Amino acid sequence: MPSAQKPMRYGHTEGHTDVCFDDTGSCIVTCGSDGDVRIWENLDDDDPKSINVGEKAYSCALKNGRLITAASNNTVQIHTFPEGAPDGILTRFTMNANHVVFNSDGTKIAAGSSDFMVKIVEVTDSSKQKTFRGHDAPVLSLSFDPRDVYLASASCDGTVRIWKIEDQTCVTNWLLLQKCNDVINAKSICRLGWQPGSGKLLAIPVDKVVKLYRRETWDNKFDLSDTSITQPLNVVAWSPCGQYLVAGSVDGSIVVWKVETQECIERTKHEKNYSICGLAWHPKYRQIAYTDTEGNLGLLEDIGDGKKTNDKVASTAAKDYNDLFDGDDDDYLNGDAIEPPSSPTPGANEDHGDDDDLMPTASHQRRAILDDDDNSLDIGMIKANSNLLNKEDDDDDQTGGFPALPASSTQQHFYDGPLPTPRQKPFQSGSTPAHLMHRFMVWNSVGIIRCYNDEQDNAIDIEFHDTSVHHATHLPNSLNHTMADLSTEAILLACESTEELASKLHCIHFSSWDTNKEWTVDMPKEEDIEAICLGQGWAACATSALLVRLFTVGGVQKEIFSLPGPVVAMAGHGEQLMVIYHRGTGFDGDQCLGVQLIELGKKKKQVLHGDPLSLTKKSYLTWVGFSAEGTPCYVDSEGIVRMLNRRLGDTWIPVCNTREHCKGKSDHYWVVGIHENPQQLRCIPCKGARFPPTLPRPAVAILPFTLPYCQVTTEKGQMEEQYWRSIIFHNHVDYLSKNGYEVDENATSQSVKEQQELLMKLFALSCKLEREFRCVELADLMTQNVVNLAIKYASRSRRLNLAQRLSEMAVEKASELATALEEEEEEEDFRNHRNAGYSNSAVERSRLPVRNVQQDEEMEDAEETDEYEEAEETPEVHKQRPNPFSRGVTSAEVTTSKPAVIASSSQGRVNPFKVSSNKKDPLVPSASVLDNMSKYSKKTSSSSRAVNKQSPPVIKPLIPKPKSKQASAASFFQTRTPNSSEKTVEERQEKTVEERQEKAVEERQEKAGRESPEVKVTAQDNTENKRPKTGFQMWLEENRASILTDNPGLNEAEVIKEGMSRFRVLSSEERMAWTEKAKGRAANDLTEDKKRKRPTATEDEEKKNQVQKAEDSNLSKKPKTSGQSTNARLSAFAFKQS
Amino acid sequence: MEPAEAEFLAEQELVTIVPSFSMDRVHLIGGDLGPFNPGLPVEVPVWLAINLKQRQKCRLVPPEWMDVEKLEEMRDQERKEDTFTPMPSPYYMELTKLLLNYASDNIPKADEIRTLVKDTWDTRMAKLRLSADSFVRQQEAHAKLDNLTLMEINTIGTFLTQALDHMYKLRTNLQPAHSSQSQDF
Repeated sequence: MPSAQKPMRYGHTEGHTDVCFDDTGSCIVTCGSDGDVRIWENLDDDDPKSINVGEKAYSCALKNGRLITAASNNTVQIHTFPEGAPDGILTRFTMNANHVVFNSDGTKIAAGSSDFMVKIVEVTDSSKQKTFRGHDAPVLSLSFDPRDVYLASASCDGTVRIWKIEDQTCVTNWLLLQKCNDVINAKSICRLGWQPGSGKLLAIPVDKVVKLYRRETWDNKFDLSDTSITQPLNVVAWSPCGQYLVAGSVDGSIVVWKVETQECIERTKHEKNYSICGLAWHPKYRQIAYTDTEGNLGLLEDIGDGKKTNDKVASTAAKDYNDLFDGDDDDYLNGDAIEPPSSPTPGANEDHGDDDDLMPTASHQRRAILDDDDNSLDIGMIKANSNLLNKEDDDDDQTGGFPALPASSTQQHFYDGPLPTPRQKPFQSGSTPAHLMHRFMVWNSVGIIRCYNDEQDNAIDIEFHDTSVHHATHLPNSLNHTMADLSTEAILLACESTEELASKLHCIHFSSWDTNKEWTVDMPKEEDIEAICLGQGWAACATSALLVRLFTVGGVQKEIFSLPGPVVAMAGHGEQLMVIYHRGTGFDGDQCLGVQLIELGKKKKQVLHGDPLSLTKKSYLTWVGFSAEGTPCYVDSEGIVRMLNRRLGDTWIPVCNTREHCKGKSDHYWVVGIHENPQQLRCIPCKGARFPPTLPRPAVAILPFTLPYCQVTTEKGQMEEQYWRSIIFHNHVDYLSKNGYEVDENATSQSVKEQQELLMKLFALSCKLEREFRCVELADLMTQNVVNLAIKYASRSRRLNLAQRLSEMAVEKASELATALEEEEEEEDFRNHRNAGYSNSAVERSRLPVRNVQQDEEMEDAEETDEYEEAEETPEVHKQRPNPFSRGVTSAEVTTSKPAVIASSSQGRVNPFKVSSNKKDPLVPSASVLDNMSKYSKKTSSSSRAVNKQSPPVIKPLIPKPKSKQASAASFFQTRTPNSSEKTVEERQEKTVEERQEKAVEERQEKAGRESPEVKVTAQDNTENKRPKTGFQMWLEENRASILTDNPGLNEAEVIKEGMSRFRVLSSEERMAWTEKAKGRAANDLTEDKKRKRPTATEDEEKKNQVQKAEDSNLSKKPKTSGQSTNARLSAFAFKQS
Repeated sequence: MEPAEAEFLAEQELVTIVPSFSMDRVHLIGGDLGPFNPGLPVEVPVWLAINLKQRQKCRLVPPEWMDVEKLEEMRDQERKEDTFTPMPSPYYMELTKLLLNYASDNIPKADEIRTLVKDTWDTRMAKLRLSADSFVRQQEAHAKLDNLTLMEINTIGTFLTQALDHMYKLRTNLQPAHSSQSQDF
């Protein structure tokens, strides 16, 4: 469909309606059976001006500022336009008039009434009337000859008559219509029309065709018809240029013909198939307004899709504009106008080569326009349009109305390419439009600031959600502040400059401990504050000079930086400042925004360097802020909430579509806050508006988040969505811990558990669907012991190939993990041998494959190693301890090692003494993994409650707490300062390490005492990854005997303790020697391994494959025995986590 | 049952409040309450809501039915029908009284609501008296009354049952006396 049909809108109550444009086309005028005449600025006008003209209005006509209506009190009245003041009664009938029309110059009107009469009255002098008698039934419609010679009328008696105005005689009549007794019974209201301009043709809708009669000869020249018309035609209307004819039928079809060629160029259907009873062409543009008998108003735009008509009209208009512009208006408007006005698109010329033939008509039309003293009006309209451009969206709830406005006005005709969008104005997040008398200046997670600006009072009300932060406050608003922000420390207000006063930033720092709680700062001259925000201990404002000024919360001026474009909005949280600004001009309703994210902490850095902000098409920004946890988020006018995904290179991910939750089309959600844990989008439902009123006090609602994943109706899609949502909404944990904030460990482990559970379910699902490759992909996302569970599941369901692949992966993962951890430990051990540490890690890496194999074999003959492991157990203990130092390390390491730390692996990292409630389950051979799963989940839910108990869902304002002792110690160890070999420091560190070790050992031992031996047995499997011993361990082995002889009767723990104290006494050189030795031993171990397991260690890969093959065959031969025992053991580990 | 007891029961009803303080979940015998987040609506029993309101720790969100239009409709319906119409809450009278007494500043058009609920109450009480009257007059053995609330039953229950007892006694005493009289004469 080439033309754009806008949705209909309710205009009047049910019943007959009529429509017309005003002379300039700047507004649409409708009348209806509710007796009102409504004046619409455009179709989106939510508040049309209404003029009451009577109980019912049957017809209206508008010209030269006079509005003529036919009302039910049998009169034809004049009202002034656009004021709507009654201006007298023109004429009366004994029945109501059915149709009123103006003649072409607006000096006379014709009215046809149900009392069979037609009258022509002079507008200025109602005494000059001409009456036409002859119809034998109510008159339906009238049409003035543009040359003022004839008048055409249609009547219920079935005739269409042509009257000569001068002598009031009937020139001719045709019996065309069906006879009926009243207008309401007429099949068609037969709105006929003379061709504008020359008046050569008269168009009459007769049943399903439009009959065109030639002037003077009064013969039927031709008929216009179309197959799409199945019901009688009600209305015809000529385009102002006289080239096109539109007809509307009683079943709602609207057809446009090019009269010259008799070709139909447009077919549209009323969206509800109501009968069309009013049609009007826009005086200049390719728009048709139409109304139906149910009182709705509609608009067709771009009739004929750019290839037509009015480009002649438009070009005349454009010429006019060229003359009128003095370069003082909008620059692009001007620029477009300068383009050759008579250069329609090439397509237009091709399609309508006959345009030239019609030149006379067009030029005539042009003259007509100029004659109608339209020039002055044109200027007015241009001004109005440019005003519209500047005004933008600040007038309340016009749903996206502002980008559409310019598109439908002046520009369209001389430039068909993309149109620049007016830039959206700066705004404060969580505020309602500034022009309202009662408005929210801000509504955020701290509180609400309301502004009252009416006759008696100009004041600001500040209210805190949490009254413990501060009590509610009432301020006089003498400076006329328009912007505000609120944090738990301060209130920030700002006003724009007036003629006398500079733009001011006003801060009420209520948490200050001194008595001076307020400060104000004046901006330099000609600099207006456009956006403000508050963070932790700082305030910021962006000004019209493209500057961002930072202040401390106490009022000290700090950094200043320039913005690349005009600011749109700012938001602060903790140390983060987010600034959104215009990167450039957007086109076709899009905004072109950029975002900067800056961290203002001790280490200042820019995280987002003016990256483009992704907005939904044709939308603008409505809210910017941070989640309570500190993740940047924003909302656009289409209701899409996006959040920064720090895990994926600081990209934006849509997390919610608030419009999906809206009941009505014009309902919106006004976002006030975002929480990641628990996942809550706090917003206020607004019925039929974009923002809430201040009274009655709106209630906050909570929306859930949903990522727009595919096929969320299926189980798979649902779980995928849940999994990724969980991941996304726990990104903040990494970020917070990296920046030294307090993180709720419980919640973290909870989320990991949840994620792993989802993965396992997905795994089971893909297993059922025989998608083994997918299974492996999923397993890749799992943590160690969930992989083990997966292996178990796979082997239970007899997918040995899958199980094999998974176990390979598990081994690989474990070794990766081990290297990561070992590297850390090595760093601890050989702090003063940096280079050695590096080379060592290289060695470690090369060792990996060997260990894989080794492990597999060990799984089979665990007995063999049992003894060895027994011996190993004690030193193992201190290694198994989750690395306390991992917290302070760099982010990369945290992310990789974190899951391991939380969900310790089977690779010796599980606490062997931890009681596992599910321990016995795996031993039941027939129990499916999913059974376990359900238990697992049950446990999860119960423990989730436990978590909730401990952790308030609202994360309290984040205060960078002094890092815990442990963490600080960790960072101490991690620092790679070149002079770290200083001995004093070294020794102290060594001591702390040892103390820790000691403590850990003690703890473990205590626990071990309480554990059953059975647990120990399972635990022994853990030692399958033997790690190179530390220096201390080696030393202890050597010296154990001597310790035991010195103090007989010591138990294992005491031995270690004693050993520690002795080891500490050693000189640092000696200790170093031991550590060196340990390293050497490790290397030796390695070579030994190689010797034992593989004679040609160089062909790593090949060998490995062979071994695996061997194992494969092994497995296939006796899957039950070996597989089962392995499974049992693996699952024992798997369940240890819970 | 005393009206105070009915009111006590009504205090178990849940209402929505917007707390102005932050508190974790509270574990009580009757169930868990909270968590309380400043500015976020939460459902609590009336007794707690009133307590918090009195200490200015929360803002009350009036129940959905406590709205002039809905109550007007309810009143009109009540007046139109001969029988009792269902009430929006089994404790409508108690809740109206409690909430309007303690949180009238959070309820728009509190006075109108009070009047409307009182009107409804009066209509219902009139119906109740009328039906009790006809019940006694016609000497029925039983009657069925639907949609009565606890408080309404209490206003008439004790009195009516006792009165019926007395009447029964009087009747049973009267008849033998009457018959004996007739024999005597």
